[in-house]
Amino acid sequence: MNKQILATLLALPLAVNLAHAQESGEGPSIKVSGFGTGALTISNTDDAEFGRANQARGVRKDARTGVDSNLGLQADVAINNWLSLTGQGLVRKDAEDDYGAEATLAFAKAKVNDALSIRVGRMGVPVFMISEYRNVGYANNFVRPPQEMYSQVPFNNIDGIDAVWQHAFGDTSFTAQLAAGRSKAPVAVNLNVEMKSLVALNLVAEHGPFTVRFGRADGKLTVTGSASLDGLLGSLRSAGAGYRLPALNTLAGDLVADSKKASFTSVGLGLDWHNFIGQSEYAKRKTDSYINSTTSWYVMGGYRIGKFLPYYTHGQLAVDSVVANTVPAACPAGYPAACTPTLRALSAGVATLRSSGLGQGEQSTDSIGVRWDLYSSAALKFQVDRITPKNGKGLFLNANPGFSHAVTVGTVAVDFVF
Amino acid sequence: MKKSTSAALAALILAAAPAFAEVVVVVNPANADAVSKEQIASVYLGKSTAFTPIDQSDGSAIRGEFYKKVADKDASQAKALWSKLVFTGKASPPKEVGSSADVKKAVAANPKAIGYIEKSAVDATVKVVLTP
Repeated sequence: MNKQILATLLALPLAVNLAHAQESGEGPSIKVSGFGTGALTISNTDDAEFGRANQARGVRKDARTGVDSNLGLQADVAINNWLSLTGQGLVRKDAEDDYGAEATLAFAKAKVNDALSIRVGRMGVPVFMISEYRNVGYANNFVRPPQEMYSQVPFNNIDGIDAVWQHAFGDTSFTAQLAAGRSKAPVAVNLNVEMKSLVALNLVAEHGPFTVRFGRADGKLTVTGSASLDGLLGSLRSAGAGYRLPALNTLAGDLVADSKKASFTSVGLGLDWHNFIGQSEYAKRKTDSYINSTTSWYVMGGYRIGKFLPYYTHGQLAVDSVVANTVPAACPAGYPAACTPTLRALSAGVATLRSSGLGQGEQSTDSIGVRWDLYSSAALKFQVDRITPKNGKGLFLNANPGFSHAVTVGTVAVDFVF
Repeated sequence: MKKSTSAALAALILAAAPAFAEVVVVVNPANADAVSKEQIASVYLGKSTAFTPIDQSDGSAIRGEFYKKVADKDASQAKALWSKLVFTGKASPPKEVGSSADVKKAVAANPKAIGYIEKSAVDATVKVVLTP
């Protein structure tokens, strides 16, 4: 990311705000708005760190603000009655352990008619039910989207084109969105995930208090900059060539994430009926690489009592399949003495991939919380999560060797919009 | 001009009347005779673009009453719903005006506009389509 462009982008709304104050009513109209969350997160263990997907560091027993705090600024410019421009910058802790700015939206939107609009530039990628506003705490009931599912696709944005078609059939409103382009996401320092030929379809039907959604995204996935992954694949290939064990070369080819087919399919349900609130999603991730094929889901239910909304969420992430570890246990008789120890080391390396990076891990979370709409543009939230890793460290970061126990995380957050 | 000034004055006086003043939904006289509550709710929650909605000021009693009666939502719930649309760049929230008189002015000027005002503020410049 070009830091200078980002700085300009973030400064733009401020400059624009001044212009807004002297609005004459003629020419393009400019609107500046923003959202943010100030949060403090704490965990009950020092054995591993709890963080969001894509974060380099998480929280231990010492409370941190970096897990759940962010600030977004947006400028909308209406050029005329059919063309508009939108820019949005977001400051948060992501792949590096510092607050960093990113351009989350930068697009031109053309309204073709009342039903259809076309956008070109950088848009949110509609992979999940709440993908496009997952960073807007005020728009959500929970403090953070369930990590079991929202860790499964690291992309926030798509650079390309999308079309949104909206139509009402009687009292049912239907929205179809089709996006095409590419996306790149930093996962850790120097480690990037890229999706080319990305096509995402998002279908939403709303009828009274009910929302039903289907989403499907397909693309070609590439992971670059992982020294440990590149080292392991290189060792597999050279051992395969050196010891004449072609199975190792085949395995390296199966594991590598180099323009490999990847897909994400999900369904979602939403309910907002009188005082009852519900939200649930179920998703399947599939890739032709070391990145696990998974099933993830969550259910959230709440009941509104005046300005208070207590809620409960359960999320689960399970691995469906991984690339079979076909490294032989031992070398054939007559091979050099170093051969079998080499294979053992390679086999151990391949085994760690199952739980390395990119939402690789199995776990479930039970959360209880309450949202309090204390002011017309601000909400206060308390949430307690009990996270239980399965078959290893789950989605925890920087875990001590052998870590596998359940962890309790507590958060207090203030969400606001302006 | 004179007429709208006196209308504004009348609205001001009426706005000072008890807070339980009845709210009605109005459109341009050139528009439909009746619009369903569901249709109005979806316009004001950004799910339909059949009309151009006009809102009253944030925190006003009439705004709270309108959202409660028509959409079964608190003003803050409506704001949370709008923040989903605004910060994804999908839609802009309804234009806000300061009084029922300004709502009438905006509705009278735009055949596609829809607004809500106190029942007592109704006059020939707008047409009532729903008394929720």
